[in-house]
Amino acid sequence: MHDDDRPPAFPLTRRDTLRAGSAVAAASVLPPLSSAAASTQSMPLEPGATTTITTVVNGEPITIAVDTRASLLDVLRERLALTGAKKGCDHGQCGACTVHVDGRRVAACLTLAAKVDGREVTTIEGLGEEAALHPMQQAFIDHDALQCGYCTPGQIMAAVACVREGNATSRERIRDAMSGNICRCGAYVGIVAAIEDAAAKMGQG
Amino acid sequence: MSALTPTQDRMRIDARDKVLGRPLFAADIPLRGLLHAMTTPARIAKGRITAIDTMAAAAVPGVVRVFTHEDFADLRVTPATLGGNQPGFQPLTGTEIVFRGQPVALVVAATLEAATEAAELVEVTYEAAPFTATMDEPGAEPQPYETAVEAGDAAAAMASAEVTVDVEYRHPQNHHNPLEMISTTAHVEDGRLIVREGTQNTNALKFGTAGALGLDPQRVDAVSPYIGGGFGQKNVLQLQSVLVSRAAMALGRPVKLVMPRAQLFHTASHRPASRHRIRLGASRAGRISAAIYESDQENARYDHFLRSAHNEAVSRLYGIPNYLGRERLVRVDTNPPGHMRAPHEHPGSYAFESAVDELSYALGMDPLALRLANDAERDAISGKPFTSRTLAACLDRGAALFGWSERRAAPHSMVAEDGSLVGWGVASGAYKGTMCPCVARLRVQADGLTRLSVSGHEMGQGIRSAVGAELMELLPIRADRLEIRLGDTTAIDQHHTAGSWGTGGAVPAVRAVVGRFMAALTELGGPLRPGESVHTRLMALKRPVLEVEIEHLGTSQGPDALERMRRGGVAVVGPEYPDFVSFSWIAHFVEVRVEPTTRRIRVPRVVSVADCGRVMNRRTATSQVAGGVVWGIGAALREAAEIDPRYGFVLNNDLADYVVPVNADIGAITVDLLDIADPMLNASGVRGVGEVAMVGAAAAVANAVYHATGKRIRHLPIRIDDLL
Repeated sequence: MHDDDRPPAFPLTRRDTLRAGSAVAAASVLPPLSSAAASTQSMPLEPGATTTITTVVNGEPITIAVDTRASLLDVLRERLALTGAKKGCDHGQCGACTVHVDGRRVAACLTLAAKVDGREVTTIEGLGEEAALHPMQQAFIDHDALQCGYCTPGQIMAAVACVREGNATSRERIRDAMSGNICRCGAYVGIVAAIEDAAAKMGQG
Repeated sequence: MSALTPTQDRMRIDARDKVLGRPLFAADIPLRGLLHAMTTPARIAKGRITAIDTMAAAAVPGVVRVFTHEDFADLRVTPATLGGNQPGFQPLTGTEIVFRGQPVALVVAATLEAATEAAELVEVTYEAAPFTATMDEPGAEPQPYETAVEAGDAAAAMASAEVTVDVEYRHPQNHHNPLEMISTTAHVEDGRLIVREGTQNTNALKFGTAGALGLDPQRVDAVSPYIGGGFGQKNVLQLQSVLVSRAAMALGRPVKLVMPRAQLFHTASHRPASRHRIRLGASRAGRISAAIYESDQENARYDHFLRSAHNEAVSRLYGIPNYLGRERLVRVDTNPPGHMRAPHEHPGSYAFESAVDELSYALGMDPLALRLANDAERDAISGKPFTSRTLAACLDRGAALFGWSERRAAPHSMVAEDGSLVGWGVASGAYKGTMCPCVARLRVQADGLTRLSVSGHEMGQGIRSAVGAELMELLPIRADRLEIRLGDTTAIDQHHTAGSWGTGGAVPAVRAVVGRFMAALTELGGPLRPGESVHTRLMALKRPVLEVEIEHLGTSQGPDALERMRRGGVAVVGPEYPDFVSFSWIAHFVEVRVEPTTRRIRVPRVVSVADCGRVMNRRTATSQVAGGVVWGIGAALREAAEIDPRYGFVLNNDLADYVVPVNADIGAITVDLLDIADPMLNASGVRGVGEVAMVGAAAAVANAVYHATGKRIRHLPIRIDDLL
């Protein structure tokens, strides 16, 4: 489609080229970052202080060296290409990064990756699949409990936990138990209806 | 082409992908060799940089480069830079600091952790200058008033009115806070610069980036297929956008910057604070004869947020023959404000619909009856007919659904069993019926695939579901193999999506491209037989694919609008057209309960009835209205930026302290849509709904608080301490 006979599109100055050249040289000695999901081998080394953890993510065992400062959220998103968990605040204030650790909901942005050593992590990618949605996922579709979809993975992980915790017994309790998950589009009415519906199907309504 | 009948019930087109966590938002795209960037924000509100020491930052293991203003001095600031219409200020091009939090360095590193640590180690020395943080501080510069709306002789009619009110309302600074933080990821591939950003305006990103970097726009791609909420904050090129692109070009590797929430409170746009003085004059029988509405709205010193438009919608709510609306901007030292959902219509309707409520009590008249008594047949401002005038129908239906007839008139007269004060409030809303040019390409294959490429951006409002609905209403295709491509300049030319013109622009364009497609198909083999799908027909014709493309203009637009769009600009028409004016309408009914001891305000139920013309997808449109109501509740009871005038700093710059509604704040919201096609406005009979949803909602809450307590609070948000 595009015309490849055009002159070069990016007129970099000589200074840029020189500076960039040295930067690229420095950067290129870093091992390439893996974009593949959950792999047990050849995870790249990180430039800061690292620690090696062994964990199970969505049923797959992995061993990975992580920056000691890294949050679980950043390791999931930037190292394991599991981008379903979202960053909305990085302060544990919005719930968009909600995942399960050993079956309990946590804010992945407030959880150091090093803390999940020896634990099991479940993200939205491990909850249900295309051919067999989790009842909560189906209920979110049926009640249009979403708009932009950015908070949705966190809402659904929190909603599943809300039901399992025994907090889905009334609309009022659902609203309280789901108030750590902000939906800026304002789909709260649908979210409450979806959780009531799914709770019945999960046998814990 | 088929009649404008109600559409079938269909689920949101991308809902399945979204519950699986599959959509790749801008910061989700995996790119090999990706570098992470972080900005260092300025710690003064005004002045200049005298020195920057990057040694400590550069020494952090993993840091690839620390960029300062010396590296970006050659960026060009063009009218396109900030979105096509306004002159822009580009940080990091010089030593001048014009707002607190302005980025002064960009650190790029192999990991996010290294970039974050290093950005905090950049040492900047400043020479500070005096500044003015808000329009209430000395040094704020009011611009001259501009007359925005004028009809009849408002001053004379006011002087002779039997009953008048003269009131002033204040609206605070609000922040959009879409949950997807603003991010930019850029890389160079095959001689093209590819920029990914959650943006409602890939056109601005493409042309603005090209302009700033001196590139051929045809070599820049802007990609934003999913946006994690926009609400207007993602309308224009961001302050960081070209910096990230420039860094990626200089380093020859992909670079990603996700700007932290705390910085976004200072770098991304916001709804500016405003003051509203409203005078209304009426007869004792309740006929409003005059309105004079003057507003002040905060603005940055160096940038033009165009002008305000507080009067445009409210001057059309009722048939007020003598109307004067004057608006002015007040300049202070802040980052540029911008459009935030119902940008002028929300604060305008909060003030105006509160004043109408005050008038109803001054007259001793039911607030709903006063509104119905002042319905308009024609637009009193322009003298033109409305394409659709259904406010009274929205009010009537809402009143019936809510049970308004049970309301006791006197304030502070309804009490719940638990002793809570009960208040019922009503307010009207309107939002302009707008359209934009749009390009659409439709490809249908014999193997069952259909691909629709169309100008538009999906920020959650449901434009995929709206255009998909029009396509499926008109064309027998396989719904399960429908692909809709939008928000991507590589798919088709794009236009900015905002101002509720997305649906009005794109849905009629889909109708037009289907018309062209059917003509082409019929030419090949006669009209489709009942029950025959397009795929079967193509198979019978031994044609693997049929593709057509059209250009579509907004009603009354000329070809220049399309040219402006193709050059990266914005080309919108409405609400005034040559022969008519067009608005969407809404009526909100709100119940509040105020606890007698703590004075905590709750909103257990809301009924909202809207008319947005033909409803393309009842589920997504209903969700839009409910979401707009949530925004109204947030604006009425929760949201305000607390600015420290000593430092020009937003103190509550995170989601724990800038309080937006959470699930426990929201009760029942009943939404009804009249679903009356508006064929005068366009061939699909559609108008927007995302903005009108919020208009009037905050006023209805405030009016309910008055009815519950007898206290008229003339500022937002209304909090416990206002009622003690």
